[in-house]
Amino acid sequence: MNRRVLIGIFDSEDAILQATDSARRRGWKIVDVFAPYAVHRLDKAMGLKRSRLPWVCFALGLFGASFKVWFEYWTTASDWPINVGGKPWNSLPAFVPITFEVMVLCAGISTVLAFFGMSRLWPGRRAALLDPRVTNDRFALVLEEDNAAFDVAEVERFLMEHRAVRVEEREQEGTA
Amino acid sequence: MAEVCSPLRLPLIAGHKKPGTVTEDVCRPMLRPPSTLWWAGFTLAFSLLLLGVAAISYQIATGVGTWGLNTSVGWAFDITNFVFWVGIGHAGTLISAILFLFRQKWRTSVNRSAEAMTLFAVMCAGIFPVIHTGRPWLAYWLFPYPNTRGPLWINFRSPLAWDCFAISTYFLISATFWYVGLIPDLATIRDRLVEQSSAVSPGGLKARPAALGLRQRLFSIFSLGWNGSYRVWQHYEVLYLLLAGLATPLVVSVHTIVSWDFATAVIPGWHATIFPPYFVAGAIFSGIAMVLTLMIVARKAMNLEDYITLRHVDVMCKLLLLTSSIVALAYGTEFFTAFYSGNPYETFVFKNRALGPFAWAYWTMVSCNVLVPQFLWFRSVRRRLGIVFVLTLFVNVGMWFERFVIIVTSLHRDFLPSSWAMYRPTIVEVSTLLGSFGLFFTCFLIFCRVLPVIAMGEVKAVLHHGNGNGGPA
Amino acid sequence: MENQYWRSLEEREHFGDGGGEFQESPLRQIEPDQSRRGFLKAAGFAFAGGSLIGCSRAPAEKAMPYLSQPEGLVAGRAQYYASTCAGCSAGCGLLVKVHDGRPIKLEGNPEQAIGRGATCAVGQASILGLYDSLRLRQPLAEGKPTSWTEVDAAIRSHLKRDTAVRYLSGTITSPAKQAAIDRFLTQFHNAQHVMYDALSASAILDAHQQTHDARVLPHYRFDRADVIVSFDADFLGTWISPVEFAHDYTSRRLPPDRSWHAQFEARMSLTGTKADRRMKIAPGEIQERLLRLLRQVESANAGGDEVAERLLRSRSRSLVLCGANDVDAQVIVNQVNHLLGNYGNTLDIERPSRQRRGNDRELAKLLNEIKAGHVGALFMDGVNPMAELPEPPELGRVGLVVSLAGSLDETAERAHYVCPDHHYLESWSDAEPIAGLISLTQPAIRPLGQTRAIIESLSIWSGQPERAYDLLRQKYASNWERSVQAGIVQVEVGQAGPPAKWRDGQPKPPTPPSDSSGHTLVLYPGVAMLDGRHAYNPWLHELPDPITKITWDNCASLSPATAASFGLTDGDVVRIESMELPVVVQPGQHDSVIAVALGYGRKASERFANIGPHWIDRGPTVNAKGHVGENAARFLSLDGGVLRYERAGVHIAKTRRHIELAATQTHHTMEGRAIVQEVALKELGKPPETADVSEELWPPDHPTTGHRWAMAIDLNACTGCSACVLACQVENNTPVVGRDEVRRRREMHWIRIDRYYSGTPDDVEVAHQPMMCQQCEHAPCETVCPTLATVHSDEGLNQQIYNRCVGTRYCANNCPYKTRRFNWFNYPREDRLANLVLNPDVTVRTRGVMEKCTFCVQRIQEAKINSKHNGAPIQDGDTRTACQQCCPASAIVFGDLNDSKSRIARLAKDGRQYRVLEELNVGPSVHYLKIVRQEDQRNG
Repeated sequence: MNRRVLIGIFDSEDAILQATDSARRRGWKIVDVFAPYAVHRLDKAMGLKRSRLPWVCFALGLFGASFKVWFEYWTTASDWPINVGGKPWNSLPAFVPITFEVMVLCAGISTVLAFFGMSRLWPGRRAALLDPRVTNDRFALVLEEDNAAFDVAEVERFLMEHRAVRVEEREQEGTA
Repeated sequence: MAEVCSPLRLPLIAGHKKPGTVTEDVCRPMLRPPSTLWWAGFTLAFSLLLLGVAAISYQIATGVGTWGLNTSVGWAFDITNFVFWVGIGHAGTLISAILFLFRQKWRTSVNRSAEAMTLFAVMCAGIFPVIHTGRPWLAYWLFPYPNTRGPLWINFRSPLAWDCFAISTYFLISATFWYVGLIPDLATIRDRLVEQSSAVSPGGLKARPAALGLRQRLFSIFSLGWNGSYRVWQHYEVLYLLLAGLATPLVVSVHTIVSWDFATAVIPGWHATIFPPYFVAGAIFSGIAMVLTLMIVARKAMNLEDYITLRHVDVMCKLLLLTSSIVALAYGTEFFTAFYSGNPYETFVFKNRALGPFAWAYWTMVSCNVLVPQFLWFRSVRRRLGIVFVLTLFVNVGMWFERFVIIVTSLHRDFLPSSWAMYRPTIVEVSTLLGSFGLFFTCFLIFCRVLPVIAMGEVKAVLHHGNGNGGPA
Repeated sequence: MENQYWRSLEEREHFGDGGGEFQESPLRQIEPDQSRRGFLKAAGFAFAGGSLIGCSRAPAEKAMPYLSQPEGLVAGRAQYYASTCAGCSAGCGLLVKVHDGRPIKLEGNPEQAIGRGATCAVGQASILGLYDSLRLRQPLAEGKPTSWTEVDAAIRSHLKRDTAVRYLSGTITSPAKQAAIDRFLTQFHNAQHVMYDALSASAILDAHQQTHDARVLPHYRFDRADVIVSFDADFLGTWISPVEFAHDYTSRRLPPDRSWHAQFEARMSLTGTKADRRMKIAPGEIQERLLRLLRQVESANAGGDEVAERLLRSRSRSLVLCGANDVDAQVIVNQVNHLLGNYGNTLDIERPSRQRRGNDRELAKLLNEIKAGHVGALFMDGVNPMAELPEPPELGRVGLVVSLAGSLDETAERAHYVCPDHHYLESWSDAEPIAGLISLTQPAIRPLGQTRAIIESLSIWSGQPERAYDLLRQKYASNWERSVQAGIVQVEVGQAGPPAKWRDGQPKPPTPPSDSSGHTLVLYPGVAMLDGRHAYNPWLHELPDPITKITWDNCASLSPATAASFGLTDGDVVRIESMELPVVVQPGQHDSVIAVALGYGRKASERFANIGPHWIDRGPTVNAKGHVGENAARFLSLDGGVLRYERAGVHIAKTRRHIELAATQTHHTMEGRAIVQEVALKELGKPPETADVSEELWPPDHPTTGHRWAMAIDLNACTGCSACVLACQVENNTPVVGRDEVRRRREMHWIRIDRYYSGTPDDVEVAHQPMMCQQCEHAPCETVCPTLATVHSDEGLNQQIYNRCVGTRYCANNCPYKTRRFNWFNYPREDRLANLVLNPDVTVRTRGVMEKCTFCVQRIQEAKINSKHNGAPIQDGDTRTACQQCCPASAIVFGDLNDSKSRIARLAKDGRQYRVLEELNVGPSVHYLKIVRQEDQRNG
């Protein structure tokens, strides 16, 4: 379903921070904020929940490590034990280095993939840009006109107060 | 905060840049045709690369005998180069990951190129374990894979097997880390190219890939449709932190494992518990040196003086000094343990290093790695880029010789004097070494042309840093 | 294996008429009633023939399958045939290992008294001569190939009853051949058989002519000697019968009946390295020293001289020898031995040795006759005078020159006719090295070319053609089969010549060295090259000299002091008159001496121009003249009726040139490490203090319940003769890499003999230590191999899996003994004929893989298969490694540690036992037994 959004374009970090912060306080629905770089404390300003990526990382790291330990034990000590330099069939200490490497590899790669999935990034995806300069030096605050109480004029004024360089109203299909 | 300013408050980026100008400055060198200086460098690097390719092809066609190795000295240039390049790589990860965890904001201007350097260095390193084998076409046997020889896997007790895992993990993780860091900048450039190609009206929105040239299309493909949404930025930050958190122990583990190639052996001069810290410090030492070497040239050539400032050089010089002292300490400790152990073989090896037929290599190593860096105690030296550049070259040479000394002097005179032998490199070996430098610089020069050498996204975030104009410090 | 070589051999059809049968299809030979010989002929032809130039047929289609399996023959299983080695004139017994019709290995024949189951390096290598692709395959007339009929006709037409015929040969130990020669020469009024040895012992025989009225060479019995005093006689290395002597000598080197051995010598010889007391002496001083000894012995008053004292203390149980080819000196030696009553005890002239029969006086006479043009026809057999003599005979002045050499050597290429002899492995013959001890030679393969046994040639030229086989069959008709099986013929003692009597003669006063200025050039036979008859043999060229460890060269060795005085170091090239040689500095050599090995610079070595791997940086193996080394024979002199091997008053001049010697060992001291351990005689028997081995990191969870293979090497016995090195090379198909690769320290021998010097420059002590893979229990090489290409067997073997090896060389780096060998290249094996010597039981390794000693695992497997086959457990000694089998000193013992009754199990607990680098706790399976030294030796 289509919806109307109000977009404020800013050109400074401080402005967007304050604007977002007070917009949230006023209970307006913040669709998203667009920034050319990771602005400090903006997540708090938008009131976002913490990312769950660390859990993915931990889980798959654990999996990689335990799989490798089992694999090394199986190949070396159980499936086809070979006497190598008189070392015990199960030379656990000697398995540590590779176990660690596999853990890191598993955790790292899987977290990245998880990230791509979560944030719906894939090769060749067309970028939906609010402003061509939003990846350069502009910041954009997107507010949804969700209910009748949402007074466009007032919000525009509010945005201008917060040193927005431009404010525009737009039809948007789906969610940004 | 005028006269009382702690170093942390000094501006990271000179010349009061705005985000827009950052994009300008960083993209400029990419968008204009290469300079003659670049062409000169590229020609040189590429011909070295060709020389290396020729040498390696000949060696693979004829046999490892075309190297100067013998029954007693089974490794020399091959593994020396391997360890050398892996070491070079470590600085990149240090700067991008470890310093990130330590919230060292100055890293932002150099981490991109440092990570690129890591990748190329690890590529160079990876070549040697393959070609040093007697039957390189079977080198894949070093990896465990389901095979037709019954359930025949590999020997997980062998440090060489550990190496294979360490190096490939290291390469993959560094590559991922590097690419993840690139995505926002790729998007920036993508959109900048759009702006340029079709002068878009401020109102006009969607980029139109169809209308774009190959370069633009590539950028839009690899930027994965990044649009600067902060919901993504939030995950991105976490991801970056996680990767940094993984890369940090990884980089330590990699050179630790490399050092175990030697430390777990019985050969006197190799069999030393001090090796892991010693190697890691050495790796970072050589890496930082190489970063400096490249940066000092790059900032001139691509006039990025405002981004890579004297302060960056200064800080890295201090790192050099630190790691150099750690390495020096290691050298001393080795001698002490050798003497204190009372082990005749151990004692002999170190006597032989300092006074034997390879003493010249040993003292080259000591003077380059211990004496030369001492100049960096002087602020005046640290601020003279010319001198720093020369010093870093010395360190690079010195660190190559460190590996050479460890490998060759330990092997050529070990337990039974009857098998003591000398080692002399052949033209093929030397060409292979030059070739690896060729590969490294070829890759780096191409990188400078096609990708942003400075992480714009990160630099923009620290623009206000220390500029004292109300920005979050 | 016993049960195999005692198989009865039914000799039916005739042998040796090469030409005719060569064109026939060998399948004709294989009939139901076929004998082994026939099979051998077929198989031999089939395998070898194909690779012969001029043989138009492809071998494969002729070879297989058997129409009917020859009785008792299993394809792929080796058989052993008793024969006699002709590598030199010592005549050691052999068992020829024949694999599918190809002789591939020579083992000693334990039943035969000379070798007693052992062989020397030269003997081991001589099998390659059989497959020498440059051997002559048919007779030559004026250098052009021709047929036997033509050659025979031509030669017989030349020979008139009054032609002055001379038959010049080396020592003939074969009675059959001697008879044939005599029969041949009786046709002529003026004919003479002249024997000479390039390594002459003529003076000893002449001396006995003087002192005993019999021109005999005593049979020296080192096993009976309590005291041995040797003047320049290298009896453990090259002198007369080294294998026999080494065996007898080492059988007496341990208490209670340990012999005492003093060596007076000018250069460092193998024998010198084993002596209890070694004294440097200039060649010119030998006579004086002997005279002094003679007086001391006559007066029975040693005058405080240890040597004399010991000799007098053990009368009739002592032995004095002299290697110098000088009649005066030898006469004195005979007198000393006579006075000590050694004749009949340690010197046997009742049944004398026939291993050296040459007569230099007659040689000199013959040379003059040739010069004077009095010789009508000259036959040369087993000699190469053009290369061996100080001045080559002027063959141009001889009407008919016939060479019987097997290949086109310096002399044969000047002969009018060359009538090539068989290789000894192709021919029927016999040998009588010691009077009354007859050893048979039987063919192990059908002749590879149209060669002809000399006996047969001679019989044809004497007008009554006879086959060698028939001659021998008649000669040893009684008990023929047993003799052929055993390889020896029992003859009653009476056969030896009349007992020689002692006749007094006063020794002449010693002749002072003719020219005291300059140095004395001493020409000696190298352990590998001897007189150069094997100069074609790459194995021998690559065998490191046991003392200098140098390969592919002969050098001018100088004492350290002399070298220093000239400012020379190893590899500096010096000019000795017209000869240019690299210097090698030799501790323990007399300062006035320059020692140069004979037998180098031969035409036969021209073939090595292309040996070894080919790549951009390779260096040559041959010198500027295209030879390996320099021929020093021209410095011999033939005066006073003997060949002299010393020349006084030689001057050496430095040149600017320097070459890097191809040495397999360049560091010569042990750096004070306990690598070769010694025990003083009086310490012996005391319980050894146990070496403190540190605690193990890993629990021992790899019990070896079945066999536990291990080896013991007695360093006290080892003479460093290097027979094991070659035996290993032959057994295990080790490639030859050439001079340049050795120079780069990439020789491929699986077993090497480390040689260490100790003591002072004046009184050098030498230790030999055979070193091969130690088959460690905790092998450092195994742990580091990423691909599991080297792992441990449950019988304690450190296995190398070639086809799994990718060649990281990590294992070799981590080997404390550096005994692993890497295939740096694909070493050329283009010579298809030479490839026939390869042992089919051992893989030929390709480029890029690691290899090393396997404890001859193929032999272990054979023994296991046999034991499984006949249901009996493996007995101690059933499996013997190649190095152990050939060792003249029996220094190597191999066996099963878990078999408590085995010799190895006993030796592992011996008081002298130790293991090299035991403190590393790698648990080597090779146990060494300490050298026993005379306690007072150092301050001697």
